[in-house]
Amino acid sequence: MSDTTQLDTLRNEVRTWLAAHAPTGWREAYKTMSHAEFAQAQRDWFQTLVAGGYAVPHWPAGLAPGAGRSLAEQKVIYEELARADTPRLLLSFVSTYHAASTFLECGTEEQKARYLPAILEGETWCQGFSEPNAGSDLASLKCKAERQTRDGQEVYVINGQKVWSTMAQYADKCLLLVRTSSDGVKQAGITFLLMDMKAPGVSVRPIEQIQGDEEFCEMFLDDVVIPVTDRVGEEGKGWAVSQATLSSERGLTLMELTYKMRGALSRVAELIRKNGYEEDRGVLRDFGQLVTRCDEACAIADRFLQNRIDGHEGLGDASIVKNTYSRVLREFTLLGTRLGGIDEQYRAPIVYGDLTTGNWMADFMNSYAWTIAGGSEEVQRNIISERMLEMQREPKGWVL
Amino acid sequence: MSIERTELHDAAQKAFPADQLKPARETSWPLIAEMGWLLLPLPEDAGGLGLGRDSSAAIHFELGKVLSTAPLIPALLAVQALAAADELADQASWIERATTGELITTNLLPAAVEVTNSGSIVLSGTLPCVADADLASHVLVLAKGLAALVPLDAAGVTVTERKLWDESRRLFDVTLANHQVVPELVVARGEAAHEIAERLHGELQLALAAESLGGATAALAMTIEYLKTRKQFDRPLAMFQALKHRVADLKTRVVAAEALLWKRAVEAEATLVDLGAIKALASDVYRLVVEEAIQLHGGIGLTEEHPIHLFMKRAMLNLQLGESLDTWRERTGRQALAAFA
Repeated sequence: MSDTTQLDTLRNEVRTWLAAHAPTGWREAYKTMSHAEFAQAQRDWFQTLVAGGYAVPHWPAGLAPGAGRSLAEQKVIYEELARADTPRLLLSFVSTYHAASTFLECGTEEQKARYLPAILEGETWCQGFSEPNAGSDLASLKCKAERQTRDGQEVYVINGQKVWSTMAQYADKCLLLVRTSSDGVKQAGITFLLMDMKAPGVSVRPIEQIQGDEEFCEMFLDDVVIPVTDRVGEEGKGWAVSQATLSSERGLTLMELTYKMRGALSRVAELIRKNGYEEDRGVLRDFGQLVTRCDEACAIADRFLQNRIDGHEGLGDASIVKNTYSRVLREFTLLGTRLGGIDEQYRAPIVYGDLTTGNWMADFMNSYAWTIAGGSEEVQRNIISERMLEMQREPKGWVL
Repeated sequence: MSIERTELHDAAQKAFPADQLKPARETSWPLIAEMGWLLLPLPEDAGGLGLGRDSSAAIHFELGKVLSTAPLIPALLAVQALAAADELADQASWIERATTGELITTNLLPAAVEVTNSGSIVLSGTLPCVADADLASHVLVLAKGLAALVPLDAAGVTVTERKLWDESRRLFDVTLANHQVVPELVVARGEAAHEIAERLHGELQLALAAESLGGATAALAMTIEYLKTRKQFDRPLAMFQALKHRVADLKTRVVAAEALLWKRAVEAEATLVDLGAIKALASDVYRLVVEEAIQLHGGIGLTEEHPIHLFMKRAMLNLQLGESLDTWRERTGRQALAAFA
């Protein structure tokens, strides 16, 4: 069977399965849920996908039902998820991508055996990387880990603060970056630990966002004890491990999101009709421009993924995809907010975990998540200009 | 990227090296014919290469990089019209002439030509933006229900050059004053003529889009090179983050638009409006790049001596050719509104 036929067969399988299993009416339902109920709905949808064999197609074969898919096959699955407009897996995302790839690439056999099956059973991970004073400059993180012997056991004792941990209020475990040494370059003293969120001294506070969601949390760590065995990689080598964590996501999310955004143009069309703009040439032009921008975002996300499948990804390519999507999302939500008129200024229920809901003000405010989180637009511009275009870097060691 | 397309990019880069901008039309037009590029879209059974739209677009992209002065865009439109010319007497010989270097040109903006038919077909009206009419033997006229060739030296035909800001392209007004169409030169009538006009209009959009993104790519590369070399305050300008970020944004726009260009170029189901939308996008990205390129070059960018202004002038012209940005955006909006009904 040719590759194309195989992919078509898979596409049909996924489509048929989604027709029977994809949640319907979730957008309406999510509006009246509490955030905790939203988390439960996310768990349910994840378990449905696990049972169907579509939750972790990117894992190595044998580790889960439906695992061991090629990137081309994963692309088909995500295209179909976007097409069926299923809810994004916000709660399990860090677990199935970041945590799993950390274990697979850098974990011990015990860690793999212990944590990977648990993820499929619903154990969720969050990420404790950023700190109030270590955002774009992540390597300057200060959360302190002191090595001690307690009750005959070798442990790290952690003190510090973490922030922007997505869905940490529902997480069971945390991928934690800590500083074990202040000697040498700042990357050198970083260690990668696995923290139990129920350990004494861990307190989590959801951060209320400008649009009313609580997607991110801050974490306060006060004498939290972590056994040395819950370390990934060597002490002081955590920076390299964190790079494996962060590169786990292979462009699939952005492809899924751009296709969903393309589909959500229907909501702009509805708005144009609702407000009687069908013959307003200015509005039609702005809408037409947005349509093309969405097509452009889909095309670049597609091409990026195809380049990866073909094995030639270039430096900075991922930054171009991200900056395109995040900018078009801003343009998208701004047009909706504008065309919606005063109605959009009246507070309305938000749909958790979705980016193009038709609650335009909320969507507009939420769009900043994509220009700020996951490496800000500005950091991506540095990557594009310095690494891709080889424009000269500023001299290091500048002192205020 | 298809193998054919990769090879075409390479061949075009060799024939038209990046450091020779605005190559002379007298030498580059025969070279284009010699390279066989006029055969690209011609079906194989008509003696052509029968390659897809993306192949022609690859050449337009590369020629856009060097601000080609040769009339490949109208010539390829004419070749495609002739290939579909069921009515044309001696079709094979016309195809032969048009693919070996005789220029049959056409207008790069739609025209309202009046057709009267009382025994013989008579055309009146002005064709704007006819490319390289000084070099051409005939102009392909697309009017309501009619496609026909008009000899440029015929009675009732006036050719007037319109001096452009963009000196790398030559455009003419061709005025038809009760021009009597030679019956043997009718290319198509009725629905067939309409189909040719519609298809050619789409091909024009894709050609202009490809040329625009080729030009944008070259203008951006030139700007980046300048920023890396030019020093002020004891450092290369490229080191200033304020400038880096602007360049990164331009690169992002060019690369993303190019992704859509090549996607559309191989989509058999792309509508005329889809192709117009990619032209609108590409020419607007070209405009953005050259607008910034002049600014980032500083004073030197305002001099005739430095070539960056040539790209700016081509970009501004491309915004208008094949119909305007506003026109295509509006049509794209209408098409999408209907699709989401």
